[in-house]
Amino acid sequence: MSMFKREWRTRLVTIAATAVISTMGAVAMNAAMAATPAETIKVRHQGMKDLGGAMKTINDQLKTDAPNAAAIKGAGVKVKAAVDGMPNWFPKGTGPETGVETAAKPEIWSDAADFAEKMKAFQAEGGKIVSLADAGDVEGLRTQVKTAGKACGNCHDKNRVKKES
Amino acid sequence: MRVWDAPTRLAHWGIAICFGVSWWTVETYRMEWHRWSGYVMLGLLLFRVYWGVFGSTTARFASFIRGPREIWAHVTHLGTRSATDSMGHNALGALSVVAMLLMLVAQVTLGLFTVDVDGIESGPLSHLVDFDTGRLLAKYHGIGFTVLQWLIGLHIVALLFYTFYKRDRLIPAMITGNKPWQPGWDEASAALRFAPFWVFFVGAILAAGAAWYITAS
Repeated sequence: MSMFKREWRTRLVTIAATAVISTMGAVAMNAAMAATPAETIKVRHQGMKDLGGAMKTINDQLKTDAPNAAAIKGAGVKVKAAVDGMPNWFPKGTGPETGVETAAKPEIWSDAADFAEKMKAFQAEGGKIVSLADAGDVEGLRTQVKTAGKACGNCHDKNRVKKES
Repeated sequence: MRVWDAPTRLAHWGIAICFGVSWWTVETYRMEWHRWSGYVMLGLLLFRVYWGVFGSTTARFASFIRGPREIWAHVTHLGTRSATDSMGHNALGALSVVAMLLMLVAQVTLGLFTVDVDGIESGPLSHLVDFDTGRLLAKYHGIGFTVLQWLIGLHIVALLFYTFYKRDRLIPAMITGNKPWQPGWDEASAALRFAPFWVFFVGAILAAGAAWYITAS
C-alpha cells in the first residue's frame, strides 16, 4: 500500500514537473519568437547606447586625476551586458530591409563569417575591459580602451552606416 | 599701403588652416588630431576676439562693425565695378566676419563637450555632461559645421566677386597686409593705428594660456 502510494506520488510529481517545464519552455519560445524585427532593433539600439554610455563613464574616469573605482566597476558591468548580449542583437531579418531605421548594413548578413569574427574580437577585447574594470586596474584600462576601441571601429567601419556626428 | 597687421593675418590664416585640418581629420576620423586642431582654433579665436578690442584699428570690432545705413549704402554700390572705398573690412563684409567668428566660437565650444556614438572619442570637457547630452551636442556640432561651410563658402564667393568684378585685390591684401592707395582714404588712414608689439604679446600669452587651461583636463 505504502509502496504503491509512493510510486503514485512520484509519478504525479513527474507529470506536474513536466507540465510546468514544458509550459515555461513554450512561453519562453513564444516570447523569443514574438520579438518583431522592430523590437529586436530597439533592443539593439538601447544595448549599443548603454555600451556607449558605459565607455564614456570609463573614459571620463580615466581622464580624472583620481579615477573612481566604483564608477568604473559599475560601467564594467554594463560592458559585460553588451559582451554577453550582442551576439543576439543581429538575428537575420533585422537589417535595413525591415524599413525600421537602423544603421546596420546588409553586409552583416551577406558576409556573416566576417561579422562573426569581428563579433568575437569585440567579445574578447570587451571582456578584457570587464575584468580590468572589475579589478580596478586603471593603467591596464588606459591601454585596453584603445585596443577595444579599435575592435569596435574595425566592425563599425564596414558594417555601420556613417552618420554626420 | 599697409592695412592689415601681422597678428590679424596670422590669426586669419591660422583659423583657415585649422578649419581645413578639422574637416579633414573628422572625415578620416583622426580624432586625436581633430582635438588638437580644435585647441589651436580655440586659442586663435580667443586671440582674435582680444585683438578685436585691443588690436590695430582695422582689426577692431568697434571700427569695422557698421550700422544698417552704411551697410545699405554699400549694398547699393555693389554693382559698380570699382574697388570699395573702405580701407579694412567693408560694411557688408564686416557682417560676414562677425557671423563666421561667432559661429566658429560656438562650434569650438560645442566640440569641447561632444561625445561620439561609441563613447570612445570625446571633447576635453565632455566629462561635465552625460552621454545623451554629449550626443545631442555632437549633433549640434555637426549642424554647426554645415552652417560654417555655407558661411565660408559665401565668404569665398564674395572674395571672388570683389577680386574679379570689382577689381579689388582683397586676397593679396590678406597675405601681404598691403592694399594700393585709393582716393577717399585720407580720413581712414589718418585714424589708422597699429597696436604695439607688447599688446600682441600679452594677448598671445593670454589666449594660449586660456586655451591650455580649458582643454588640459
